[in-house]
Amino acid sequence: MSEFEKEEKIKAGLEAKFPGAVTNALVQRKNRVWLDAAGEKLPEILAWMKAGGFNHLATVTGFDEGENLGAYYHMTDTKIIVTLKVKTPRANPSIPSVLSVFPGAVSYEKELEDMLGIKVQGLPPGRRYPLAEDFPVGQYPLRKDWKTEDYLAQQPSLKTETK
Amino acid sequence: MSKITIPFGPQHPALKEPENFMLVLEGEQITSAGINLGYNHRGMEKAAEGRTYIQNLYLIERVCGICSHSHTTTYITNVEELAKAEVPQRALAIRTLFAELERVHSHLLWLGVAGYEMGFETLFMYTWRDREQVLDCLELLSGNRVHYSINTLGGVRRDITAEQKAEVLKRIKYLEERTQYYIKLATQEPTVLARTANVGKLPYDVAIERGAVGPTARASGVARDVRKDDPYLLYAQLDFNLITHNTNDVFGRLVVRALELVESYKIINQVLNNLPEGPVAVKVPMKVAPGECVNHYEAPRGEDIHYLKSNGTDKPERLKVRAPTLANLQSVAYMLEGGWLADVPLVIAAIDPCMSCTDRAAVWNPKKGKTEVYSWEEMRKLGIEQYKRRGVDFSRL
Repeated sequence: MSEFEKEEKIKAGLEAKFPGAVTNALVQRKNRVWLDAAGEKLPEILAWMKAGGFNHLATVTGFDEGENLGAYYHMTDTKIIVTLKVKTPRANPSIPSVLSVFPGAVSYEKELEDMLGIKVQGLPPGRRYPLAEDFPVGQYPLRKDWKTEDYLAQQPSLKTETK
Repeated sequence: MSKITIPFGPQHPALKEPENFMLVLEGEQITSAGINLGYNHRGMEKAAEGRTYIQNLYLIERVCGICSHSHTTTYITNVEELAKAEVPQRALAIRTLFAELERVHSHLLWLGVAGYEMGFETLFMYTWRDREQVLDCLELLSGNRVHYSINTLGGVRRDITAEQKAEVLKRIKYLEERTQYYIKLATQEPTVLARTANVGKLPYDVAIERGAVGPTARASGVARDVRKDDPYLLYAQLDFNLITHNTNDVFGRLVVRALELVESYKIINQVLNNLPEGPVAVKVPMKVAPGECVNHYEAPRGEDIHYLKSNGTDKPERLKVRAPTLANLQSVAYMLEGGWLADVPLVIAAIDPCMSCTDRAAVWNPKKGKTEVYSWEEMRKLGIEQYKRRGVDFSRL
């Protein structure tokens, strides 16, 4: 055990409870733990962590890794931030919703759908967020192959003219 | 009685920024509320990927007008962590000072807005007059009232002189006296109590369940403050209290913010009286080694969290920003349900929402069917002409 006793304990606890579903766990520095989590186990892991004091899902970062799309869940007990990275194939990106555990996460999950095109299974239907209602369907701005210039070129009505 | 759904916003006289609430009413009482957001989405996270770390500093400062220092400090803490830069103590102290001045400015602004929303406009006039004192401090130290641009990679851009220190301390002393009056007012004035007690209830469990942050959570008894829990800047060395309240309503949010002002003055005094000596900035290379990190920060409205991934170039691979209001809005829907229509503006204002609304001045020209963007010279010319028509000539200035 090192100087990061608390962090190591959390890491060891997760690895013992979810063998196979939690991999590459790493204590980066004081108060920061990173790990990869299996998508299908995600709600279960979050529920277990929530019961153990990690009752705040600070946010979810969506990330285009190339072949995979990632959703990074930043869980915290306000002192330690544990980031769970879930990966899903770009060809058919899909992750389960965590709303049953964290009902406040609805805008974070909608953002994953809108900005990266990750299908969140179990997200209730509703207005899109954060993109505008007339934003073209099937375009995901936070993917690396989406270029602002191409989009502007497709939209004649958005052409601005400097006087 | 039949139920009626009415849209509240995105454009509504009671809202300062565009957001939409779908309120289902039964008479005057709200039975359910839905929130729609995104009217202000500016694509900053995408824009950040195309800019260098130093350019992003100016972009991130404009995420929000009031929390400009909060966002840049969170961002820059991430960059410095990835670049393994050792920031001098004096720079950290100046950042802490600005963070607290910003909190004072934001909380006083909120007190005014809350006063206005509860129909107590004298309070609004008083707090906004006093807020000028803290804005003067910020202008004195940084040259700007709102976008201070004090942060730079590896430190801060300006040092503090002894004269500036004395000026700031003088103004803080005045604000300390005024704040005692506001605390008395907030806790004893019958108008305030009648309008805020038992309005917009958010019980402890719900605050946790919906991920509320900042004064909104603390007014529901959630003892959560990043400055205490995961200290950054100089907070680990400073003496201040974590303020909570247990009434779970707008009154509690008012008390928490008023008492937090006192703690902020304490911090400002401590920082200014114990400024470490030394340089205010170190050089940081333009390119940042590959890595990723996540940091949070207690902004005036609550926890602000940024994730940053670098790829070895001078531009970030991914920057994620989650501002405190987004975390708090899920609680607003709960607070509104079961309440009265007349309380809606006050309940919404009670989380101090900030939708970040700076935008370019674009003008829709229906004759040409085009959007025209004015240049700076054009804007200036327009302004001068307009005042000329009113008999004031600024062109000679």
